[in-house]
This record gives sequence, C-alpha cells and structure tokens, in this order.
Amino acid sequence: MFKFDEICELIRLVGSSGVAAVEIEHGGSRVRIEGVASAAPVETVRTVPVVPVGQPTPAAAPVSAPRSDELAPEEGPSGAPTEEEGLHHVTSPIVGTFYRAPNPDADPYVRVGDFVEKGQVLCIVEAMKLMNEIESDVSGTIVKVFPENAQPVEFGEPLFAIRPA
Amino acid sequence: MLRKVLIANRGEIAVRIIQACRELGISTVAVHSDADRDCLHVEMAEESVCIGGPYSNASYLNISSVIAAAEITGADAVHPGYGFLAESAHFAEIVRDCGMTFIGPSPEAIRLMGNKSAARAAVSAAGVPVLPGSKEALQSRKEALELAEGIGYPVILKASAGGGGRGMRLAFDERELRGAFDTARNEAEKAFGDPSVYLEKYLERPRHIEFQILADGHGRVIHLGERECSIQRRHQKLLEEAPSAALSPELRAEMGRAAVAAARAARYVSAGTVEFLLGPDGSFHFMEMNTRIQVEHPVTEMVTGVDLVKEQLRIAAGERMSLPPRRAVPINGHAIEFRINAEDPNTFAPSPGLVERLVLPGGPGVRVDTHLYTGYRIPPYYDSLIAKLIVHGADRAEAIARGRRALEMLRVEGIRTSIRLHLRILEDRDFVDGRLDTHFMDRYLQPGGE
Repeated sequence: MFKFDEICELIRLVGSSGVAAVEIEHGGSRVRIEGVASAAPVETVRTVPVVPVGQPTPAAAPVSAPRSDELAPEEGPSGAPTEEEGLHHVTSPIVGTFYRAPNPDADPYVRVGDFVEKGQVLCIVEAMKLMNEIESDVSGTIVKVFPENAQPVEFGEPLFAIRPA
Repeated sequence: MLRKVLIANRGEIAVRIIQACRELGISTVAVHSDADRDCLHVEMAEESVCIGGPYSNASYLNISSVIAAAEITGADAVHPGYGFLAESAHFAEIVRDCGMTFIGPSPEAIRLMGNKSAARAAVSAAGVPVLPGSKEALQSRKEALELAEGIGYPVILKASAGGGGRGMRLAFDERELRGAFDTARNEAEKAFGDPSVYLEKYLERPRHIEFQILADGHGRVIHLGERECSIQRRHQKLLEEAPSAALSPELRAEMGRAAVAAARAARYVSAGTVEFLLGPDGSFHFMEMNTRIQVEHPVTEMVTGVDLVKEQLRIAAGERMSLPPRRAVPINGHAIEFRINAEDPNTFAPSPGLVERLVLPGGPGVRVDTHLYTGYRIPPYYDSLIAKLIVHGADRAEAIARGRRALEMLRVEGIRTSIRLHLRILEDRDFVDGRLDTHFMDRYLQPGGE
C-alpha cells in the first residue's frame, strides 16, 4: 500500500515536472497520477451504453440495448442493486468519481458483453485528483455497468456485474 | 455563512453538529463507514457518503476518502468533531489547501498545542503558570535526573506528542526515574512516532479543572467558565460538572484570565479548552489545550445558554461570536454530564450489541445527546460512548437529585452500560460533599477488574 504522504509527494512531483502522467506499482498496489495537461476527464458526455441504476439520473441518460444474457436490475431494500444469482459484483474500494475511460477522448475500458480477465482494468475512481485504476477480481463477461460515467460513487458501491467464466 | 458542511465524524457528536447546522440553515453531509450505515447521523444528514471499511483507519481516519467525499458532494466546510482527525494539523491543512473551511483552529495552532512541550513553553512565556519542570523536550537522562533533583520527587515524564493521559511515566525517586526515562522514550516513539519526552512535577491529588474558550477571527477571546472533570478512570472522564465546588469567584476570574492568555499565545480561533491541574492549596498549573469541541461541551452550554457548536460555525464563517461584548458570560445554576458507555459497570469491558429497548428521560432540566434508537446495533469498532445525559438544576443539590432520577428513568436494554456506576457515584459521600480529585475513581476499581 502507498502511504498518503507518498502519494502527496508524487502529486507534487508530477505537478512540478510537467510530465503528463506517471504510473507506479509497488507492494501489490498501483497508482496513476496525471498532470494538469492530460487530466480533467470531468464532465464529459459519453455515448457508450451504460445502465443507470440507484441515484436519479439525467433525463437523457443513455440506456443500453437489452441483451439476451442481461437480467433486469433488481433493487435491494437500501436502493442498492443486490447480487443476483450467479453474478459477481465488483464494488468500489474507495469513495470518489467513477470514470469508464482513461481520458475523455479514449474508449471505455470495458463495455457490456466484453470478456475480461482477472486483473484487467475496468474503470477509474478518482479521489483527490488521484486516478485509481480498478481491476476485475474475476474473469468473466461484463453483464452490467452500474454507475454513469463521471458519477460519484461510495465505498462498497457496485460498479460492474460480471458473469464469472 | 457556510453553505454545506461535511461532518467528518460519527455517532452522537455528528448528530450534535447536524442539529447546529440545521438551526443555522446549513446543509449537511454525513460520512460513514461500512459498519455505520444504520447510524443515526447518516439518517439525520441531508446527504451521506460511505467512505470505507469498518476500521477507523479505512474510513474516519482516511484523509483522502474524507476529502473525496467533500469534493463529490460539493461541501464548502468540514467539521471534524472530536477524536478521529479533529486534532490533526495535517488534515486541517489539506482541508484549507482544497479550498474548504476547516471548522476549528488554524493548523499552526493545532500543531503548537499538539506538541505538549512546545505548548508548555509558549503559554509559560505568556505568563500562564506551568508546573515546575523541563522548559523543552529532554535531551538526556542526566538532564532529567538533575531537573528532578531540583524540583523534588515525585515527577512525571510525558510524551511531547502525547496528551489525553497517554504516554506518561511516574517516578517517585531517582532509581525509578533512571528506569522510566528509556521506557518513556520507547513508548512515546511507538505510540506517537516521536520519542521526545518532557518532565514535570507530579501533583498527587489534584483536581482536573478546564476552561471553555471561544475566540473569533476579530480578535475577541473569552472564557465561558470552568468544568470540573476530576472523575476519571485511566484519564478517561466519566462525569463532568460546572461550576466546580472548588473555585471562588476570584479564583475563577484568575484562572479564566490565564486560559484566555494561553489561547492568545496560540493565536487561537474557534472553540477550545484549556486544562489545568488545581492543587488543594488553590495553586493551578497549565496542563494542555484541546484544540477541538469536547465531549463535555454541553455542561457549559447548560449553565451559560450558549450554543458552542453554532458559535464554532459562525466563527468559521468569519463572523463575530454572537455573545454581547464587554461582559463576562454569566453562569446560571449547576449542570452535570454523565457519560453513558456501552461497557460493564464493574469490569469496564466493552459491551457492543443490539439495543433492544431504549427509553430516554425527559422533564425539566434534562438533555440527552445520543445516536441510539431502539433496534440499533452498536458496532464493536468505535468508542464505547453511546449517550451523554446532561442535567441542569438551580444548584448542585438539585442537579444531583435530577441526575439520579434521570439515570433511573434511562433504559438501555440489551447491552451493559455505565448507568449503575453513575448511580453509585451519586451516592458517594465525598461526591455529594464535592470532595474530588483525580484519584476519586480508584475506590471503584475492583482488584483484578482492570
């Protein structure tokens, strides 16, 4: 794990050096810090299909075309989606802002229907200007993407439903 | 005024801060751990964000998660409550650097008062009496022994980075001090990451008397009288009252002036507390300053009628405190706070679990600050404080009688609590007569019960 101070130090380094981004892996965890030039993936409208659930979403929120292997979203007592039979949920390990792509112009890391390997990057959750890459903890097929791009997510909030291979 | 306050805390103090924000028309954001989804502060706040796992390190002490929660909710200020990040100068600095208002003193003031030997030197320079001892952190065992020889045993070694009763070693003679010096440094290094220790004369039977301070950014610093906090177990306060039976109006004025001078020495802004040790002869010495709102703040609120948390919010917004200028704050009647802990009243073992039934007392002069409700499951991860019962009476006798009946009417079923311990204290002859010192609780500690 990186210490908070170490991350702060890295941010300062990236900020003052002018490099676009730096990615460091250490002790089993990885951080990616993007400089001002390449950062700001905020407030971009994506056209990739997403399935909004949970919080009320803007009227024009795009909804994915139904797929044969997709189940209807199920609301738990707290309004959070519950884990359905045979589906694995990847939840957010931190509080922050959810991004589906590494930057506003890039394709999303994954789309519904994609097959992902364990350890593959699924999305980014940004906290305090830190881009934290969230990896899949199983191999399988993406069945659902819960949050909208650029939506705030809480600790423990479901991000993806995956049908394990 | 502030627009939206994120409360970086949980439980009763988070609820207390939400009450103050609501009365001032400020929106609130609660943060909570995974284990605290059902905690009352989450329900009472207008928004809530889950910031991490059950253990405090993963949630309430995780600075980046707290800041991320403030950013995604658009909060413009952060109230740290007490405990957790409340006295982290680092956190206060980050909140400020992120363009938000930290509801508390400046990082500089927190840092100065957080270093107990530096604080001692700073207030001493401002004319506040400190116990005889080292001017700064000790450089060697030889220095400690020479100092102790000069001021006389017993002496106490304290960690510079400590406070709240942690990191202390007592020595009654030279032999004990020789042994204690290295142990104290090792313990300080382990507990606080800083081996610095300083030495003070040890008072054997002092009272713990603290003064509530309010200071605004317009240069006004006042005190709101004292709180008597001598009833402690292992330096954890159990019962606090105001005013203290030991203070004459003259002594109160003198100690109040010293408390204000200590706050001014730190350029302090916000609510804070200056703690003193008071000897049987009426001599008093600075112990430390707590740079936060305290657990026992309602005692002062009950006898002054001042809402300290609302004053904190006003001051943080850059306003003047709302108290009439050029007048000492009048103290009315007597107040006692009983800390209700989820723990066994005899062994003090923690007792988390399901609150099967809760009945809160009411009636004249009774206030309960709590996050409990019937059906709430107290998680095992946090402080055992579950409620504060505060009573107010025209005088101490009425406050004691009211305290007794309110404790009898308070029902917390399903877990063990400190209610019965408080009833025993109220029966104690010395307590009723106001004969208190910091060793009062020793008689209630069963041999082997620790």
